[in-house]
Amino acid sequence: MKTRFAILVLVSLLLLAAAAWLGTPFTGEHSQFVLWQLRVPRVLVGALVGGTLALVGAVFQAVFANPLATPCTVGTTAGATLGALAALALDLAPRVEGLPIVTLMAFAGAFGASLIVALAAAGGRARIDDVLLAGIAVTLAATALSTGIQYAADARALVAAALWSLGSLPQVGYRGVLVLLPFVVPTAIVLLGSTRGLQALAVSEELARAQGVDVPRLRMIALGVGSLGVAACVAWCGPIAFVGLIVPHLARLVLGASLRLLLPASIALGAGFLVSCDFLARFLVPSRELPVGVLTAALGAPALILLVWRRR
Amino acid sequence: MSAPLVLEQVELHARGRALLDGVSLRIEPGQFVVLVGPNGAGKTSILRVALGLLRPTRGAVRLGDSSIFDLSPRARAAALAWLPQQPVRDEPLTALETVAIARYRFGEANAASLVAARSALERAGAVAFAERRVTELSGGERQRVALAGLLAQEAPLLLVDEPANHLDPAQQIEAYELLGRCFEAGLGVLCVTHDVNLLVHTGAADRIRVVGLGLGRIRFELPFGAPELPRELGALFGLELRALELDGRRLILPERAAGSR
Repeated sequence: MKTRFAILVLVSLLLLAAAAWLGTPFTGEHSQFVLWQLRVPRVLVGALVGGTLALVGAVFQAVFANPLATPCTVGTTAGATLGALAALALDLAPRVEGLPIVTLMAFAGAFGASLIVALAAAGGRARIDDVLLAGIAVTLAATALSTGIQYAADARALVAAALWSLGSLPQVGYRGVLVLLPFVVPTAIVLLGSTRGLQALAVSEELARAQGVDVPRLRMIALGVGSLGVAACVAWCGPIAFVGLIVPHLARLVLGASLRLLLPASIALGAGFLVSCDFLARFLVPSRELPVGVLTAALGAPALILLVWRRR
Repeated sequence: MSAPLVLEQVELHARGRALLDGVSLRIEPGQFVVLVGPNGAGKTSILRVALGLLRPTRGAVRLGDSSIFDLSPRARAAALAWLPQQPVRDEPLTALETVAIARYRFGEANAASLVAARSALERAGAVAFAERRVTELSGGERQRVALAGLLAQEAPLLLVDEPANHLDPAQQIEAYELLGRCFEAGLGVLCVTHDVNLLVHTGAADRIRVVGLGLGRIRFELPFGAPELPRELGALFGLELRALELDGRRLILPERAAGSR
């Protein structure tokens, strides 16, 4: 298992490095600029976002004791989108300068949505489907509100919001990296630090309590910190769906269910996965930028259906 | 911590029905108490309440001087370990990883947990499949892994729900021998079971107290060797029971359901 873990991390790192150098060849005097101000920052942001979304996905699967629970299926992403859209479309703050406000609004939406689902499914007696049903309900409600907000917004804000809501990584320079780091690094530290409690929770909530895990507290921390990480990613890049679903399942296929390997592996693989998707998105439609969120959703929806089908 | 666990006049209501009705019980390290009763009598509910997983409608659960509900989860886990009756969710972890989870309360390095888990698997006779995934094990092997988890938590009181579940006769005897060894080592055991005859395999039957539970009430509390035990058990289960002496050991056999001819 340790060897497999090492290989998986190595492959992910190679993907990251390759994505920065591959693509249309560099020519002339701008090549340094293209590499260091366009490609590398884009790969770094992709790695931070992909790693965070995948980690939170793996953690939510343990918290909800449900292999299909991820930020996008339990309403976290939709809640974050609602909060961020409200900030963007209502023009509460100009897009770039106002990022902390967008992030805070996204966090409020994300945490609220996750909390509603967690409460609806709390008590340990809830059937596995209840989580997903509550997640669907919250997602529908948040989406409806988001649509309503866009309807009310003025045209200029509407275009910005619509572009943002496709989910994409392009940018110039390192601002995105600097904005994301203070959110996603604490998220990763806290969640990785909770590995043992999460592992107990993934096996059995009641037994975990008898084994000394403060389950309500752990659940709040995981949901809160996980929502914060997702919110930061959504606020900067727009909703990027299904990374949190596909990547932990891939890692699980390779490494088994031990969270001690699965959580760090999800970070590495999520980073590699999203950056590769972004590279593919650039490559598939060379003249235009296909938003990466479109591609992950196109890959993720069939993957979700496959997982549901296999659980029978 | 080696404080006694005390249930005082515990009542538990759910959906308008009394699951437990005035249950008082006391156990401390060095004692072996067996809870018997028909299905639905409330045996498992007593364990849940005792562990602090369920809050009783009325009454108190104390560990030493403190209410169980005032203790931190870690402090509770340091005093009480639980073997649940229901198998837990199927996570494809290895037996070793599964048992290591029970070391949570120690807050130790993972390597230390694995060493302790392996030693617990050895004592439970399960070390042969330490590296196999629990999802690939038979019911009996899994139950031994669960018993190893119980030992790995190193609590002075063990709350054990049907330890012979899913085990074949030889493994059932081994499970009770293991509980007997824990008891001889000074631990307290509160054990839920249907089959009192298995208790002779603890090697400590003469020191076991049997508590009969029917419809949420305690019906009797007797030493295992008490001559009236077969009659009381028969009344509890709605059975006509016969006691046989065999090599100086008493066996209690059901003859027919009460009322049938």
